Amino acid sequence: MARNGALDGLRVLDLTDLRGALAGRVLADMGADVIKVEPPGGDPTRRLGPFADDRPHPDRSLPFWFYNLNKRSVTLDYQHARGADLLMRLVESADVLIESFEPGHLEQLGLGWSVLAQRNPALTLCSIAPFGQTGPWRDFAADDTVLTALSGMLYVNGYPNEPPVRPLGLQAYHCAGLYGAIAIMCALFARDRSGRGQWIDLSIQEAAACGVEHVAPSYFATGEIARRRGTLHWAGGFRLGRCRDGWIMHSISGDWTTLLEWVKGDGAAQDLTDPQWSDPAYRRANAAHLFDVLDQWAADKSCREIAERAQTLRLPYAIPRSVNDLPDDEQLIARGYFVQVEHPELGRKFLYPGSPYLFSRTPWRLYRRPPLIGEHNLEVLGGDLGIPADELAVLHAEGVC
Amino acid sequence: MALALEGIRVLDFTWVVAGPAATRALADNGAEVIKVERKAGEFVIGTRRAGLMADLNRNKRSIAINMAVAAGVELAHRLVKVSDIVVDNFSARVMRQWGMDYQSLTRIKPDIICMSMSGFGHSGPRAHHVSYGPTLQALSGFTMQMADAQGRPAGFGYSYADMAGGYWGALAALIALWHRRRTGEGQFIDLAQFEALVSVIGPSLLDLTVNRRRQPPPQWNSQEGPAAPHGVYRCRPEGEDADRWVAISVRSHSDWRRFVAALGSPQWASDPRFRTLFLRMQNRDLLDHHIEQWTTGQDAWEAMHILQKAGVAAAVVSNAEDLCVRDPQLGARGFWPTLELPGGGRTPFANLPFRLSETPASVRTPAPEIDQDRDWVLGSVLGIERAERDALLAAGAIYPD
Repeated sequence: MARNGALDGLRVLDLTDLRGALAGRVLADMGADVIKVEPPGGDPTRRLGPFADDRPHPDRSLPFWFYNLNKRSVTLDYQHARGADLLMRLVESADVLIESFEPGHLEQLGLGWSVLAQRNPALTLCSIAPFGQTGPWRDFAADDTVLTALSGMLYVNGYPNEPPVRPLGLQAYHCAGLYGAIAIMCALFARDRSGRGQWIDLSIQEAAACGVEHVAPSYFATGEIARRRGTLHWAGGFRLGRCRDGWIMHSISGDWTTLLEWVKGDGAAQDLTDPQWSDPAYRRANAAHLFDVLDQWAADKSCREIAERAQTLRLPYAIPRSVNDLPDDEQLIARGYFVQVEHPELGRKFLYPGSPYLFSRTPWRLYRRPPLIGEHNLEVLGGDLGIPADELAVLHAEGVC
Repeated sequence: MALALEGIRVLDFTWVVAGPAATRALADNGAEVIKVERKAGEFVIGTRRAGLMADLNRNKRSIAINMAVAAGVELAHRLVKVSDIVVDNFSARVMRQWGMDYQSLTRIKPDIICMSMSGFGHSGPRAHHVSYGPTLQALSGFTMQMADAQGRPAGFGYSYADMAGGYWGALAALIALWHRRRTGEGQFIDLAQFEALVSVIGPSLLDLTVNRRRQPPPQWNSQEGPAAPHGVYRCRPEGEDADRWVAISVRSHSDWRRFVAALGSPQWASDPRFRTLFLRMQNRDLLDHHIEQWTTGQDAWEAMHILQKAGVAAAVVSNAEDLCVRDPQLGARGFWPTLELPGGGRTPFANLPFRLSETPASVRTPAPEIDQDRDWVLGSVLGIERAERDALLAAGAIYPD
């Protein structure tokens, strides 16, 4: 296949489950040959719903589809010696191996870092674990909920005196996946100089903590404990409000005089014309009152009227949308963000969200739909490793692949 | 010890949060990041010495250049000639106005990489709209979808959009640098922060496009396999602070047995309505009521440890103090390295969430004050001597001390 991906020629073995799968996906989108190495029954993500047409089947899991677009799939039971041996042969020609097992698991299988590095000194191993590979909580039980809780992400979303509200999407895992891909690229640059790979120890808890903006810096600066304030942004610049026919995201982060003149022109500025409001620090400290005034101003206007006028005045207002409207979003459509992915087995095409950037020379691309279980066993184990078809059949019968 | 990105020079026009978060990941790994700034009018929350701006800009250099005069643009062009990548996060028109757009810069340095991290990208109907994080969170559905139990929108009390723009931006820069190292080709990256956010919504977008199922707010319905109990539960106040919570996730039958045992096998747990995961999900309100009876008598940290000791995924919902001071895991892993500040005193910074075994990223120098490194940039980077510097001053390209 003609390829012109930025990461052409990189081979990545992806042994992750849900927790680390995004790392390989984003590399695959840019041309890396990412081979998902699954146990013979399939990656546990394949058992996770929702499923296409709500029909549970390992090749119909939508979470699997989302995280594994553009990857190939090989099945290998590397708990057994023969499977481990085949994995090591794949390691020889790989640049990167990503895993998200419990810390120490690979070592127990005889596939620890020292063994891998001995077989292929240029290999980069990226280990993604809830708390990383070290520390007193290393073996604690965790899921995305627990990790968003321990990162500070949960505590600051929601209303005062009410339970914290969790993010949409598995954001602890997403932070880990993206930072995992960043770490891998850094290790590859270092390898260019040294010729040697290295071991990346990534903590999902820390990745999620890096997905929080203000909590730690504010605490270290002033000792302030950031709290939940509904949709009032911590820095005081935004709050969601009501207008006549729906919601509007108000903002005082644009030019203050412009906004004030507009509101004043409608006779709705109340006390905002008092001189102290021209001080940004005062506005931040008294944001709640300021937004109350804006809510009253907006009450008899339409969302559209406000949002359109605001943007012509360079004020960062928006009408909030539902995620359900995104496939029809005119901006995403104009940018070709969603792509049609054909699933020949199902006789249909489906609309997938893409990657968030347009590279002028090496754009991200649709190379292949997410793989069926072991779809590339013949190609990879037969073709690359040269295992004859009859031997593959035996290995399959024995449950090795 | 060597750093992974040594030898890479980044010319950094970014401001506010998303852009600086992207170049921070590069700087921490050893890239030389030179901020090109305005002398006045910096987006200010706190100072460069403490708080968010200090955190985002550590390990970077700063020079102020007046881009409104020809000599300033010319000076910037000389810096482009010796840089590998130019990054900005202005709305689409700003760099073009300065003659700093990709087309213009390729005439100066044919293999330059330019990355624009604008709100909506350089094309489409919203290309010229202004946005900050909350604007994008409103438009991408996060604000509305993250609703609390009463249905009130509660999406992000901070700009997660900026943190997402940051990790996607760092990754995109590294991928383009990798491609250039392989082929000698530069290119233009048009990253839309809006799309960066949409790209981490996750599999629920596929449930919408494939199954045509409108997505309800996730609340505490698990996004990684059925779970009950699952959510946050109020704990005993700690001193004056009544805002204490523990997050709990129970999935498998053995999780449930260990959970019940950890609570001392209370009578209610043998209620047939809780016998299976399916039943526990059906009777979630009653289940949560019983659990909260237990948690409200517990200290949040104690509850976490009782449950973790039993192997149950549980966590204190960390506030700033829990995160920055009390969390023994982050402390043990060196997640909060400290730096001496120029004015005296030490302050902690958040590390990147991964450790590279051979070339670990590090926090080495505090954020520069604006224009702090002017003489270093002119002298060491461009070889400009005193007489020429005076001429630049006279032309208004740079600023007096």
